[in-house]
Amino acid sequence: MPEVAVVKKRQERPQKEKNIITLKTLKAQKQLMFMSLPFLAYIILFSYVPAIGWVMAFQDFKPAKSFFNQQWVGFKHFQFLFSDSGFLRVLRNTLAMSFINLVLGFVTAILLALLLNEIKNALFKRTVQTISYLPHFLSWVIVAGLVSNALSTEDGIINILLLNLGLIKEPILWLGKGEYFWGIVGAAKVWKEVGWNTIIYLSAMSSIDPALYEAADIDGANRYHKMWHITLPGIKPTFVVLLIMSVGHILNAGFEVQYLLGNGLVVDWSETIDIFVLKYGISQFNFSLATAAGIFKTVVSVILIYTANTISKKIGEEQLI
Amino acid sequence: MRVTVKKLLSAIVFLVISISLVLSGCGSKGKNQSSSNESTNTKSENQAKLEPITLSVYVNAPGQQPTKDNKIYKLIEEELGVKFQFEYLVGDSKQRFGVMIASGDYPDIVNGGTELINAGAFIPLEDLIKEHAPNLYQHYKPFWNKIKDPDSGKIYVMPDYGRFYGDFNRTAHYGPAFWIQKQVLEDAGYPSVDKINTLDEYFELIENYVKKNPTIDGKPTIGFEILSYDWRNFCLTNPPQHLIGKPNEGGVVVNYETNIAEIFADKDYAKAYYKKLNEINAKGLLDRETFTQNYDQYLAKIASGRVVGMFDQGWNFGSARDSLIEQGLINRTYVPLPVMLDESYAGHDWYADRPAINVNSGFGITVNAKDPIRIIKMFDTLITERWQKILQWGIEGEDYLVDKNGRFYRTPEQRTNANDQVWQLANKAMGIFDKGPKMEGVYSDGNACGPGDQPEEYFAGLSDYDKGFLNAYGFKTLTEFLRKPPENPIAYPAWQINIIDGSEAKIASTKLNDLSMKYLPRAILAPMDQFDAIWNEYVSEIRKLNIKAYEDRINEQIQWRIKNWSNN
Repeated sequence: MPEVAVVKKRQERPQKEKNIITLKTLKAQKQLMFMSLPFLAYIILFSYVPAIGWVMAFQDFKPAKSFFNQQWVGFKHFQFLFSDSGFLRVLRNTLAMSFINLVLGFVTAILLALLLNEIKNALFKRTVQTISYLPHFLSWVIVAGLVSNALSTEDGIINILLLNLGLIKEPILWLGKGEYFWGIVGAAKVWKEVGWNTIIYLSAMSSIDPALYEAADIDGANRYHKMWHITLPGIKPTFVVLLIMSVGHILNAGFEVQYLLGNGLVVDWSETIDIFVLKYGISQFNFSLATAAGIFKTVVSVILIYTANTISKKIGEEQLI
Repeated sequence: MRVTVKKLLSAIVFLVISISLVLSGCGSKGKNQSSSNESTNTKSENQAKLEPITLSVYVNAPGQQPTKDNKIYKLIEEELGVKFQFEYLVGDSKQRFGVMIASGDYPDIVNGGTELINAGAFIPLEDLIKEHAPNLYQHYKPFWNKIKDPDSGKIYVMPDYGRFYGDFNRTAHYGPAFWIQKQVLEDAGYPSVDKINTLDEYFELIENYVKKNPTIDGKPTIGFEILSYDWRNFCLTNPPQHLIGKPNEGGVVVNYETNIAEIFADKDYAKAYYKKLNEINAKGLLDRETFTQNYDQYLAKIASGRVVGMFDQGWNFGSARDSLIEQGLINRTYVPLPVMLDESYAGHDWYADRPAINVNSGFGITVNAKDPIRIIKMFDTLITERWQKILQWGIEGEDYLVDKNGRFYRTPEQRTNANDQVWQLANKAMGIFDKGPKMEGVYSDGNACGPGDQPEEYFAGLSDYDKGFLNAYGFKTLTEFLRKPPENPIAYPAWQINIIDGSEAKIASTKLNDLSMKYLPRAILAPMDQFDAIWNEYVSEIRKLNIKAYEDRINEQIQWRIKNWSNN
């Protein structure tokens, strides 16, 4: 069954590529052009104009001085970034936490979506869905508070649970061991975002043609077969698009949760690029360094997005650009 | 044809709507500007002496807006014709300053320091004060050179705290100290201060108490707490300097004979202190979670009354202390002890200090202010004794009374009112007073500038428990546990020295801080036989930093201060 869908798409694509923009089409679509103008203006104004600020990265920027009085320093700030011993560490932490969050995030969201999709009782399904996506609306400050309370050695629920199950003999200082930190952040992210992330998959699943399921029924497929051969391939395009977008964000491992849960004992595992930039850039009014780090992140993100996109194109999957 | 026209029309309508939506943010700003222009126009038309003026004020601390009919602001409006529009800090102050600087959108009066000075946000005040504000000039005259910005030699902010009149007398200690619960001293039979003023004696006191009282209110007793959260990690890093009899200079100790500063993080006396903490931890007296908890959790623990002792600055756990008092757990509130490294330093404690003039913070007038003379004249009026009494004590007869000897006092009801935050919003001018220039110490008539420093007021406001406790020691105030502070060295305090953002010195000090945060908790929590190894690694990491740049900057500024401040 899924092969049919793929073949269909393959046929569509070459047609699209033939579309050459002519003056005639422009004229014919002028209403559309007009409608998109404000958004074009919006993007130029808020996404491209601020990029002029990138010149800051090559200056010793002082807010009080005018543009022409700024001191130009070339790649000094980039050099500071890449030569600092701490930077490699925060880069490692950022990548590791991003990767963990990426994998955990996708796996749990798709699993939950699959399970929810199988539930036929609408009320129960909606209740579970609502409960699971509610934490999304909590601020990280609150979630970090909840997490550190849950992990407390005194009356934290995790330690109490493990103690009563007899798995440990005395409470573990979860937030005091660097080795646990990435896992704690990953788990906290899953708890907060899993319900929210399922929404898009559920909507993708609901757009799958019911005829496919009926046909599979006739062919004698059971639930697992249907999940594997119909539901999962059905959400694949959505999954790939989301994956490409997430890959672009891999250097944004987040800031709040690491900042709020981190402490001196785990600093080697908890500091991300954003925290590093806050410490040595923004909070020292060294906007130039912060900008340099921002450029670095953007460049890496663009490269990653294009790479992911190209790979996806090569293996015949959905693409974004 | 008609159809296309219609389509085109609807497209245009849509376009207009979306553009107006996108630009609505800018639109409201434009409106504000035009209305303020109007008000300036009317101002120039009738230049009466006290024509009403509204000043926008930024206060760099969280706070609440006063009520509309706040009686002190009403009085200021009636007499000075000045109305205020306050903006309080929400969130992170550095961020707020960054936004202010980037946009150049400053209120008339801003409570800030070096960031704004460096950004050119303030106008210089020395001529303004000399010409238009005689009272303010008298107020700052003894510190005239001190309050100048070291880099430009100009005065940009009016320091808020530290200008004392008359005898130095303080009823409460808000500075650093090793604190101990009153109950602990009571149980130990009120040992005299010289029996509990070394590190060993202090922790012995704690150990004995915890042994006898393993739980407080059914929950495990916590022997010692070290807060290390975020910038409040001074609880972890500052003690070594105090243990050898120095006042709080921040990250360095200064030799007052040679006036040379050096960092103390890697010194032997620092090691001795952290080794002691390591030992305390091995005995189970240190809170297990002490290095992973955040500030709120720390306060919650203190407020539960289970924490026997900690090193901290008095102002840093004020809300926990208030909470203990509210719960009626006065015996669980704290006493500052003059704990020293060993007996040889006894009697040289410098926990209580004479507050130096606070040179880095206060109100400044920004380049956006339309009438700086008017503003400085307003501050000039507010610094007179009459207005200071109104701002600090309130209105005579309403908020305080005067006895036949001319001493100010309050009835219990007035005292409760003054501590009631809701009452304060309607009856105190905190927005303009807290960060504004103020008199501290005593007025010319002998009354204390603020009710809290009036000795009889202080004693009358104490609970019965506190009265009994102080009587047992024969003290009148808790500050008597500490040595009465000697005169400040000229260049004191070094922590106020502006380490220029982004400089080598700043990077070194930030990295030193990072190292302390990383290694000290690890060393303290390590098994006792591993302490030395971790400590040595810490010291060798420190030696790799450009500490010299940091020390040089401080020493250079100390020399600058000695040169420029001596001739005051």
